[in-house]
Amino acid sequence: MNNMKLLTKYSRINLVSSVVIFLLASIAFYILLRFVLINQVDEDLKIEEHEIEMYVEKFGRLPEPMPLKDQKIYYFLVSVHTKERTFSNIIPPEPPGNKQEKFRQLKFFIAVKGQWYQVFVEKSLEGTYDISRSIIIISLATIIVMLAAGFIINRLLLRRLWQPFYTSLSLMKEFQLGQTQLIPFKDTNIDEFNDLNKTLEQSIKSAEREYQQLKEFTENASHELQTPLAVIRSKMDVLIQDEKLSESQSHLIQSAYEAIQKLARLNQSMLLLNKIENRQFSETSATDIKQLIEQKLVYFKELLSVKNVTATSKLGEVVKRMNVSLAEILLNNLFSNAIKYTPDGGKINIMLSESSMIFRNTSENENPLDKAKLFNRFYKGELSSENHGLGLSIVKQICSVSQFSVEYKFSCGEHSFEVLFTPPQ
Amino acid sequence: MKIGALRGRKIFGHLFRDIYLFHRLYYMKILIIEDERELSASICAYLKNEKFFCEAAYDFSSAIEKISLYEYACIILDISLPGGSGMDILKELKANNKADGVLIVSAKNSLDDKVSGLKSGADDYLTKPFYLPELGARVAAIIRRKSFDGNNFLQFGGLLLNLDEKTVKANHKILDLTRKEYDLLLYFISNKNKVISKGAIAEHLWGDDMDMADNYDFIYTHIKNLRKKILQAGCHDYIKSVYGMGYRFTI
Repeated sequence: MNNMKLLTKYSRINLVSSVVIFLLASIAFYILLRFVLINQVDEDLKIEEHEIEMYVEKFGRLPEPMPLKDQKIYYFLVSVHTKERTFSNIIPPEPPGNKQEKFRQLKFFIAVKGQWYQVFVEKSLEGTYDISRSIIIISLATIIVMLAAGFIINRLLLRRLWQPFYTSLSLMKEFQLGQTQLIPFKDTNIDEFNDLNKTLEQSIKSAEREYQQLKEFTENASHELQTPLAVIRSKMDVLIQDEKLSESQSHLIQSAYEAIQKLARLNQSMLLLNKIENRQFSETSATDIKQLIEQKLVYFKELLSVKNVTATSKLGEVVKRMNVSLAEILLNNLFSNAIKYTPDGGKINIMLSESSMIFRNTSENENPLDKAKLFNRFYKGELSSENHGLGLSIVKQICSVSQFSVEYKFSCGEHSFEVLFTPPQ
Repeated sequence: MKIGALRGRKIFGHLFRDIYLFHRLYYMKILIIEDERELSASICAYLKNEKFFCEAAYDFSSAIEKISLYEYACIILDISLPGGSGMDILKELKANNKADGVLIVSAKNSLDDKVSGLKSGADDYLTKPFYLPELGARVAAIIRRKSFDGNNFLQFGGLLLNLDEKTVKANHKILDLTRKEYDLLLYFISNKNKVISKGAIAEHLWGDDMDMADNYDFIYTHIKNLRKKILQAGCHDYIKSVYGMGYRFTI
């Protein structure tokens, strides 16, 4: 299925059908014209016949054949005769070098003083052909001019007519859920487009409303969870102070403690995602990415050494305009992701250039992650049952609000996350 | 009878006053302004010891009343309160030139709140749900700063911490600690005699957006190194492991 523009499709169909119709019409016109013209010639030939008959009746002899350029009359004495009169097209033999011309021939029999003659009256068809050729050429030229004009007018007109549609389309393309301003659809004087715009506006409004409700719900739910979580955690912190706790009780408490930790972290990530979506980190400044990465390398030094992971980096001087807190969160997530999934003794490599930032880490196995789902919320790889699966969607969200794009690649047993400092296509 | 009763009341009055004065000299009072009573109770249970004494206010008006009557070494302030905003309490404090240290705790982890809170004169900001040892460390730091009396040193057992230079001396020798080991040591001392969970330690050292799941091997390594350095300096082993649940720093 090859897709094309409506305009192209319409023009193509229009052109093909016009050409076919015009071709058929031209052929019919040509045949009709020929028929009429030949009929005309035949009439002339009949007049000629009549004149000969009159001449024979009046003078009792055949008229002298008068060779003209476009008319020939000649007779033959015949023994057998019929009443029949026949018209035919002939090409009389010409000496070589001369132009071959078509003639219309009328054969008939006439009796002159008891003698039967066959009379041949021939008229050149050259003139007729000239006329029909001229007419055909003129009509073809007209057709071509008309087609071309029609094509251009259609194109211009259609483009103008469809303009509101394309305007709405480009407005829709820029639209993103969660941006509070509405799309400024323009009023047109065409009902269909007005209808379309109205429908789009309504569906956007309801989508926006539902999106807002969902967002508010998540936000409120997360906020409301903070206090009970704080209470539980604080009670746990008090509980573990108890010196009378037995070892088995301690283990039970520890499990509960860790579960609360996960819950708290999950909730925190959800709040963070919400905040990024709500553009609460809109303040940007020139952020020295290189310096931040270097800080993080020091910050995570101990974690790397515990796992025996070597981190190498090749960092260019890169300063980008973005929110500093988001830059930190982005790097924290990329770092913790890399550290977490690098096997003991593995390698992490960070490359920073004007166009991109690449985090590579050796993989536990040869299986690439699922590219399609990787950045989805709550995606869990094979290894990450302990993980809540929001880290990479935070990365993606930060990239998207900072006008960056992020890609995942897997090659030579290495996962690579590449942040391109250009907006996604 | 009347006179006796009066005298008795006077004696008791003096006694109460003396106890109160002694109390004021010896104890440091902490005000917990938090509408969630259970959370307030936990904070109090965790912080109170031979030096700290906690009072609680559960709403805006009682908080205002308390801050106008007494002075506190530290006020733990929740932003959203029934009857008013914690921000207004902060403004009230500053308007009355109160020197109380203020630690804001909020369920909203919002940068704006944090910035405006710190601008309005709060000393620190902590987001719920926090670890009590983290709160303890922040409160201790605020009190240390407020009672700054020329020398910014902190002593624990045979260890002497220089808080300005972030160095630790034991037996007149400087311990060669990494930045994280120093932070960990200060954290332990600020929460001495308390069991601190590994989760609380991890978050203190690497921040709350560091998601390392439940892999606490790195903490173990850290503790091991710190313990080794303290022992090498000729001190006792202050770090006690508690059933793999956490650690207690004690003499």
